[in-house]
Amino acid sequence: MFGLPLAFASPWILLALLTLPLIWLLLRLTPPKPQDEVFPPLAILRKLAAKEETPAQSPWWLTLLRLLMAGLVILAMAGPIWNPRDAVLQKEGPVLLIIDDGWASGKIWDQVKQMASTITGEAEKSNRVVSLMLTTDPATASEKPLSSSEVNSKLEAAFNHAIRPDHQGSAAKLNELLAAIQFGEIVFLSDGVSTGDASEGFVTALGNSSIPVTIAEPELGELAILNPIENQPGKMIGTVSRAIDTSTLPLRVIAYDKDGLPIARVSSILSEGQKSVEFSFDQPVELRNQITRVEIENASTAGAVQLLDEGNRRRIVGLISGQSSDISQPLLSPLYYINRALSPFSDLRIADTSNIEEAANDLIAQNVSVIVMADIGTMPNETESKITKFVEEGGLVIRFAGPRLAANPNGPLLPVDLIEGDRFIGGALSWEEPKAIAAFEPGSPFFGLPTPNDISVSRQVLAEQNTELSSKTWARLEDGTPLVTADQLGAGWIVLFHVNSDNNWSNLPLSGSFVDMLRLTVNLSRSTNTATSGDTALRLPAMEILDGTGALTPPPAQVKPLVIEAGLWPVPTLETPPGLYGTADGFVALNLIREKEEINPLDTQELSSTLTKAQYQGGASFAFTPWLLGAATLLFLLDCIAVLWFAGMLGKFRFAGATAALVLAAGLIASQSTFAPTAFAQSKTNESVDFSAALTTRFAYVKTGSSQTDNVSAAGLLGLTRFIGSRTALEPGDPIGVDIANDELAFYPFLYWPIDLDAPVPDEETMARVDAYMKQGGSILFDTKDQINSALGSGSSTNGNAKLREILASLDIPPLEPVPSDHVLTKSFFLLDSFPGRYQGGDLWVEQTGRIEELVDRPARSGDGVSTIMITSNDFAGAWAIDNQNRSLFATIPASTGQREYAFRVGVNIVMYTITGNYKADQVHIPALLERLGQ
Amino acid sequence: MSPAIGSQVNADKASDVLVRSRARAALIPDLLVEAQRVANNVFAGWHGRRRRGIGENFWQFRPYVEGENYAAIDWRKSARDDIVYVRDREWQASHTVWLWVDESPSMLFKSGEAAVSKQSRALVLALAMAELLARSGERIGWLGVTPPIVHRHAAERLAAALMVSKTQSTFPDTSLISDHSEVILISDFLGADDQEHALDPAFQAVAEKHVRGHLVQIIDPAEEVFPYSGRVEFRDPETKSQISFGSAQSIRADYQALFAAHCTELSEFAKRTGWSHTLHHTDQLASKALQSLHVDLSASPMRGVR
Repeated sequence: MFGLPLAFASPWILLALLTLPLIWLLLRLTPPKPQDEVFPPLAILRKLAAKEETPAQSPWWLTLLRLLMAGLVILAMAGPIWNPRDAVLQKEGPVLLIIDDGWASGKIWDQVKQMASTITGEAEKSNRVVSLMLTTDPATASEKPLSSSEVNSKLEAAFNHAIRPDHQGSAAKLNELLAAIQFGEIVFLSDGVSTGDASEGFVTALGNSSIPVTIAEPELGELAILNPIENQPGKMIGTVSRAIDTSTLPLRVIAYDKDGLPIARVSSILSEGQKSVEFSFDQPVELRNQITRVEIENASTAGAVQLLDEGNRRRIVGLISGQSSDISQPLLSPLYYINRALSPFSDLRIADTSNIEEAANDLIAQNVSVIVMADIGTMPNETESKITKFVEEGGLVIRFAGPRLAANPNGPLLPVDLIEGDRFIGGALSWEEPKAIAAFEPGSPFFGLPTPNDISVSRQVLAEQNTELSSKTWARLEDGTPLVTADQLGAGWIVLFHVNSDNNWSNLPLSGSFVDMLRLTVNLSRSTNTATSGDTALRLPAMEILDGTGALTPPPAQVKPLVIEAGLWPVPTLETPPGLYGTADGFVALNLIREKEEINPLDTQELSSTLTKAQYQGGASFAFTPWLLGAATLLFLLDCIAVLWFAGMLGKFRFAGATAALVLAAGLIASQSTFAPTAFAQSKTNESVDFSAALTTRFAYVKTGSSQTDNVSAAGLLGLTRFIGSRTALEPGDPIGVDIANDELAFYPFLYWPIDLDAPVPDEETMARVDAYMKQGGSILFDTKDQINSALGSGSSTNGNAKLREILASLDIPPLEPVPSDHVLTKSFFLLDSFPGRYQGGDLWVEQTGRIEELVDRPARSGDGVSTIMITSNDFAGAWAIDNQNRSLFATIPASTGQREYAFRVGVNIVMYTITGNYKADQVHIPALLERLGQ
Repeated sequence: MSPAIGSQVNADKASDVLVRSRARAALIPDLLVEAQRVANNVFAGWHGRRRRGIGENFWQFRPYVEGENYAAIDWRKSARDDIVYVRDREWQASHTVWLWVDESPSMLFKSGEAAVSKQSRALVLALAMAELLARSGERIGWLGVTPPIVHRHAAERLAAALMVSKTQSTFPDTSLISDHSEVILISDFLGADDQEHALDPAFQAVAEKHVRGHLVQIIDPAEEVFPYSGRVEFRDPETKSQISFGSAQSIRADYQALFAAHCTELSEFAKRTGWSHTLHHTDQLASKALQSLHVDLSASPMRGVR
């Protein structure tokens, strides 16, 4: 409509727009309904009437708003659709629907599906049957035409694959179908890309059918593929090609590591007339080695993705030679040729010392994957074990023979047993000619390389003949003697070239084959899984495969293991789509795009007689109806607000809203204020206390609320503090009283809690704090101070006990016992056998320690941790209490200075116990430990 | 739409006098109870005329003055002393008090802020006044309903008469009002559709007589505060005429000034004629108006009487 891709589902409704002027008139004439009010003093009001201009009409903007609303609703009812679909089918009879579901339709797949469903929709309307053929799997095309709904459900399930369409098979199937069914029309939803001769054949087959054909072709302007990536010494090089070169195409190539994180990004531009362009990643080799996937940004096709496996990694190769590198005669250096052969595909680290021990350490520390040792006979034990370990962990050691090795054939790290000395072929004293290399056998990693016929070997070291030799041999000379042998050691390999690494023994190091062989060998490192390990073909399970949009996904069930036969690189098929095969430790990448592959558009010139061309319609169609209705609703809400405003209600609402907000805020503040201000005040007042408490160790007592009890506790702890300061290395700060309900307890290792009969029992929340304190390692000494009341000795319950039980009811208390004679408390500083306070005779109760090992000869019971709870009735604080002149406040009962001294000692032991824990218990083991240490 | 601020309390056809009368009659027993309650509150401070005169209650003993009636001598008192005493009685003249309550439809108005309609409050005030006056033995009449009667339960009688009387649509005949009687007129005084004068000409006619008038103006708070906003159509309950304002809140200040002027005019009229003017809002307590009315009533009877 009007040149825009806009259509209406029911255009006649638009006629209703003609009524808009009428609505306008009506709206203008109908003012909003006023509020009706009885008002007796109307006479007074009438005097004001002259002042107020009563609007007889709605304001213009309100009318406009309503008109807009009406217009929107009418438009919405008319059902405007952006991008409406054109009809594709034109003829009668069964329809053959052929769909290219290969990689090239990755980006346009949604459009393809849209168009296919449009076609089935049309077929359904005219009651036509449809045959569906998907070109990646033409064999599954149904022989019988299906109803369009069946086809639709098939289409729903269909997705495109990351492989090339099988146009050859499709052509065959097409001919079959044409013979079986009289089609009225063929629709080919092509991906627009030619797969070579097969595609041409398919198009020809279509043309020969003499049935009207409609071909839909996508725009190929942005279709580009990524050719295989090559990891060169300084950079990683790849090529981007495209199908059509008539426009300028800027694109970006991104490299991802195995976690899917982008590592490198490069932009390049394909200018007009340019079909391909080269790009490179210049990142350091360590980074480049982490690249597992390179793709063209936003290409969404499998062709724009290249997966990289171990084979693409550049190994770091360390070189060690037996003789010091002689700079003046580089060509004679045993490492020179190896260096030249390896440098194109790996990074070399040459040990700059001839000390093999240092060199090996050096290289292993540099994280090399491969160590090449040229002519090294023996090595120190330690180095040998180091290198062995390196190999077992997956490293690769390549050794070259030489005079030193020949002289030490029983040396370590050799794949085969060697015969001492070397074999000299074709010298002046020999009948034999220098030997050439035999063709590589299947099972050898070198299999597939051309047999080098320009190589002659004149000297070699020989292997002991045994049964394993032939399976360990990778390359041999014409006479069957091994040239390259290898053996697996742990996860790694040891490979021995039976010649030396310069051209003295053979001209192998001078040849191109040497480079290939070394490359294949180096590829073994850290990818042992993928190495051919025998004659049988390697079967690798799919790890991740590329889906139709070029994304790596877990393989679906129908994907089969990839079978790699030696020397035969597999081709992606429906059952083995491109992707990564193997395990996370070692995998191979199967890519869709081959070396130097180009893509070309499908040529449909031949078909011009019977051909109709169709276009995929870009973008989905878009129905405006819901949006228009939504806008109309919004306008309606606006109108409501306006009407309310006219009726004077808005002010009231605002007032009500403000009131509600105020009430809410007041409520919030009130609810906050119930605890926030107290918490605030608390944090203010307690901050300095907490600071000082955190800085010095000090004892704390629980304030009971009774000033007398608290004063005694303070005086008692002061006495204990002074006593400890004078007798031990611990110098605690002044004791402090804590409010158990509010103060932070974490700073005090030890809480003295006198039980005051009048004090209220702490609430649940407080006891939860106490519980947390105890579980975090604090100890609490409860003192019921009423031993004297239990006149009949222990056993009878006192009021203090009852109170204590009440307090502890909500605590998680372990089983308790009176301090056993071998408890740490009896010896944590002083040796004690009883725990008197102001009174004597009451037991000190502590947590029960394990009684598992009750050995008579152990001086102290072991047991980790500190009893979190101690209970006494002896009134410790009373015994400890002193005044400012250090005079005792209370007489002990019975009165004796000895008892007070013991009471203090008990205090010291308890403090030491709470602070040092079972350290003292462990102390008793010192003689045994010293004895065991042999000192 | 929120409910309207003001309403007419009975939903029956306002023009139907009979129906309205019946509705009013149904209200009266309750109002009477309320009136008695209010009267009791006020009666606590109710005193005699504080002056010697013809009455039943003892007022004072005073020495006999030559020429006085011997019968006036209180011999019992005089026997105790050498002085001859005369027993004075408190003056207890019986006044005629006419009550009238406006019964126009505008009195039925009640806004959300008021507890009762204006008419309900007016009837309560009138009946309470009647109760008070009856207790002190005054003659009480209700204009257009019943001639003045003296009875201990005059309030009940009035109420009974009211219950059977028809609603008056106009100001009743004032010919029965004799000189030197008191007239209590309870109304909203909004009836004058005349834009020049605040007061109905009928009241002017009463004022012509030599009576003491007491104007009790009952106002609904909504009429004074004008709490309307937005687009409002105002309707007069009596004339049914309408007037609408697009933005009621904008004329609030002007209206309030005009209404205040109306009240002032009424007050001026009262001052001129020596009458009293009591302003009562229906959201206030009835006893407050009764108290003030009583004070006005017991002021010097001669003041302002021409």
